[in-house]
Amino acid sequence: MDRMKELAREILAEAKAKGAEYAQCSVSEGEKKEFNVDGGRFSLMRSLFNRNVTITLLKDQKKGTVAINKFDIETVKNAVSDAIAAAESGQPDEAWEYAKEPVEKEFTDGAPECDTDKLFMRTKELLDSIKEKHPTILMEQMITEHNSGTEVFMNSNGVNYVTNYGAYTFSLMYSAHEGEKSTSFYGSDITLKTLDKPVLECGKIDWEISMVEKQLDPISLEGKFNGPVILAPMALYEIVLSTIMGNFVGDACMIDGTSIWKDKLGEQVADPRFNMSSEPYNDDVVVPNRHTAEGYETENFDLIRDGKLNSFCLSQYAANKTGNKRSGNTGRNIHVAAGEKTLEEIISGIDKGLLVMRFSGGQPAASGEYSGVAKNSFLIENGKISKAISETMISGCVPEMLMSIRDISKDIANDGNNSLPFIAFDGITISGK
Amino acid sequence: MLQDILTDKKALFADGAHTELRGQNNRTRRAVLLNGALMGNVRSDVSGVSARVYEGGVYGFSAMAEYTGEAAEMVLKAATENAAFMNKHAGIGKPALPKMALKQMPTQEDIKDAEQKLYVDFAREADAYITKKYPNLVSRTIVAMEDSMEKLIVTSDGASGHILAPRSYMYVVLTAQTDAGTPVELFQAFGGSGVFGDNFADPTKLHAEIDDLYEKLMQKREGVYADAGEKTVILDGMMSGMLSHEAVGHTVEADLVLGGSVAGPCLNKRVASDLVTLTDFAHTAFGEKCPLPVYIDDEGTEAVDSPLIVNGMLTGYMNSRESAQHFGMTPQGNARAWLFQDEPLIRMRNTSIHPGKDKLEDMIASVDDGYYLIQSNNGQADTTGEFMFGVTMGYEIKNGKLGKALLDTTISGVAFEMLKTVDMVSDKVVWVSSGMCGKKQPMPVGMGGPALRCKVKIGGR
Repeated sequence: MDRMKELAREILAEAKAKGAEYAQCSVSEGEKKEFNVDGGRFSLMRSLFNRNVTITLLKDQKKGTVAINKFDIETVKNAVSDAIAAAESGQPDEAWEYAKEPVEKEFTDGAPECDTDKLFMRTKELLDSIKEKHPTILMEQMITEHNSGTEVFMNSNGVNYVTNYGAYTFSLMYSAHEGEKSTSFYGSDITLKTLDKPVLECGKIDWEISMVEKQLDPISLEGKFNGPVILAPMALYEIVLSTIMGNFVGDACMIDGTSIWKDKLGEQVADPRFNMSSEPYNDDVVVPNRHTAEGYETENFDLIRDGKLNSFCLSQYAANKTGNKRSGNTGRNIHVAAGEKTLEEIISGIDKGLLVMRFSGGQPAASGEYSGVAKNSFLIENGKISKAISETMISGCVPEMLMSIRDISKDIANDGNNSLPFIAFDGITISGK
Repeated sequence: MLQDILTDKKALFADGAHTELRGQNNRTRRAVLLNGALMGNVRSDVSGVSARVYEGGVYGFSAMAEYTGEAAEMVLKAATENAAFMNKHAGIGKPALPKMALKQMPTQEDIKDAEQKLYVDFAREADAYITKKYPNLVSRTIVAMEDSMEKLIVTSDGASGHILAPRSYMYVVLTAQTDAGTPVELFQAFGGSGVFGDNFADPTKLHAEIDDLYEKLMQKREGVYADAGEKTVILDGMMSGMLSHEAVGHTVEADLVLGGSVAGPCLNKRVASDLVTLTDFAHTAFGEKCPLPVYIDDEGTEAVDSPLIVNGMLTGYMNSRESAQHFGMTPQGNARAWLFQDEPLIRMRNTSIHPGKDKLEDMIASVDDGYYLIQSNNGQADTTGEFMFGVTMGYEIKNGKLGKALLDTTISGVAFEMLKTVDMVSDKVVWVSSGMCGKKQPMPVGMGGPALRCKVKIGGR
């Protein structure tokens, strides 16, 4: 690590010597150990030794960025020269602003050391236990890995962070098969700090697999109707939360003025029961993002509190561009607060609607309107899950949905990064054949 | 340009094990203007060396962010150890891969590296043109970019070679507002294979295309929602390219076939109308160079075309050397990796349905009540063949004539059912190559096709 710190100092000195009024760099070194399963059997073991250097600087308030993956001083000095040349080719922008307060901190998060044998053992155990417990499931692909490393972040204002991190990640893609019948594929992911218990007991993996197993005999819905739809956590993220982040509160949509929420700070944008925050320091998060790209230490913040827009999700640059406040981080680790009903209670209140597990749709329009296919999903009839469905599309408008929340589950799915409930929305357009 | 420090390392390859050694450099140049502000001004160079070793039916792989002889030796050692670990704990005793004849592919031309100013100035010129001519827009985003892959491939058998593959694009995203204040967006990518300076020598040559994009945006601003349900549509070339890639191509990648895709039981069966012939082209299609030509893959297989559907019959899969051995097929050069640190996966190259004999105008005239769908911003498909494409530009067809533009919508269907409804195929192929295919790793791919008349499900209100 001393070598990385020294390199970071040399980069800052070189940038200053070449005329930069501000410079920052991220110098990182990492390792990956990975096992792959394809078509239900082990296929690959992969080990990586990586390095990255990202240099950002301002010259005459013009910004240039260069990324390389070499630590030798000649390559690094050339990269600084390239960053200077890139900045000189640009235009001054007074909105560029970076962390100013000198600070020196070191963090250690997750599991920095990899137990490779145990990772293999847990991977094999997971594969075997799924075969035994869920025999119709074919593991199309499973990637299990441990990523670890150290990042040194320094800027010319005296900001100095060292972050040591490590985590195990299990990513599964699978479908159920019986004779010539097969289901849509589904993906389950979880990030873990330890391998103390079988992975099938972590998060919602076992439940998700069991739901996919029930999708071997789907029915096609006829016609079109408006009805309530329960979005499972993954579908909730795909349809609602990513639209909020990308279309309504993030840097780009705020700077270009296309956010339909740009003037709604403090206003009611959702049902009062809806609370959404970005919480890198939630206990459920394995590896928090410790600092922003602009060098600010991160903190939790509320995006929507009691249904009111509490904050945008903005970098300092976007904040300066739009006259708003910088947010506590740039929007990772989303937490949506639990409601009061179980999933079963929510389902029991629906006469006819859908439980949508996954969504395959086009990018939502700037207005928040979307349409797409309800994947791995079920018809709800008379308060019960009745049949799996296929070839069914749903469409709606996210701002309208947020005002039409029917129920929020008290059951939360935590995957080591986000923690999300099931949410039922009224008035979704459901169309079959 | 990467110097060949790898060929000498062949002496270190383990006897009897298939081994690949690859040096690689990925270069990205990007300037992003958002409403005139230079939000992104980035250059990136990522290089290193990797090795992959096949033993007993499993692979060991290792990569390091150095391109030196010492690093090559280290990754060879680590990959060999990984292969041994896997073979010991999870080996399935498969025989060695069938040998291929040694061949040296010619080194391609070096990639000229332009200064960042070229990208920034070009983006600014386009932005200035838009700002001056179309001041009523809510926002505009201009991206000038180039990415390239340079690979030096040395294998224990098969082909070795030094390949360089640059591509460059201008992305223009325009946003207007409806009278009700709702934002409406439209996007277009321009460019293709080659370095930026070659594709974009004169900024004024883009003006007519930007004008066309703006005109379509104004039509979309007055657009209507599609009527949800199953409809007869004309999918224009970009949409049929998306169909070829997402809905068919992925299901016939042999690794996904082994993972249970719908194509498994469909080999040598009818999956489309007899008007449909679909090929994953290596480097030349319909007498011309493909948008992103591939001459050798990362397993050392010389790239040739992969016929997938011939006159409606499913005739083959895309393979790696290992999957080709499994299915008793011939590998055709589909195994490619994105970065030095990535292992080769089965990927498409340039996937297209072959052109037919119909004229687009006749196809539109033949539809009483349907849609003409032109542009997509994304697509996804299932291993069941069920697909979904976002539609960002399209028109109603009423009584054989184009009607109002459509607001954003989505189409879906099941590929091998929907392709059987294809009853007209246009005589012109449109290619696109500006996106990335996602499958564990990103990968530049070309996709194209003629216009198709068919039935799909469309989302809407």
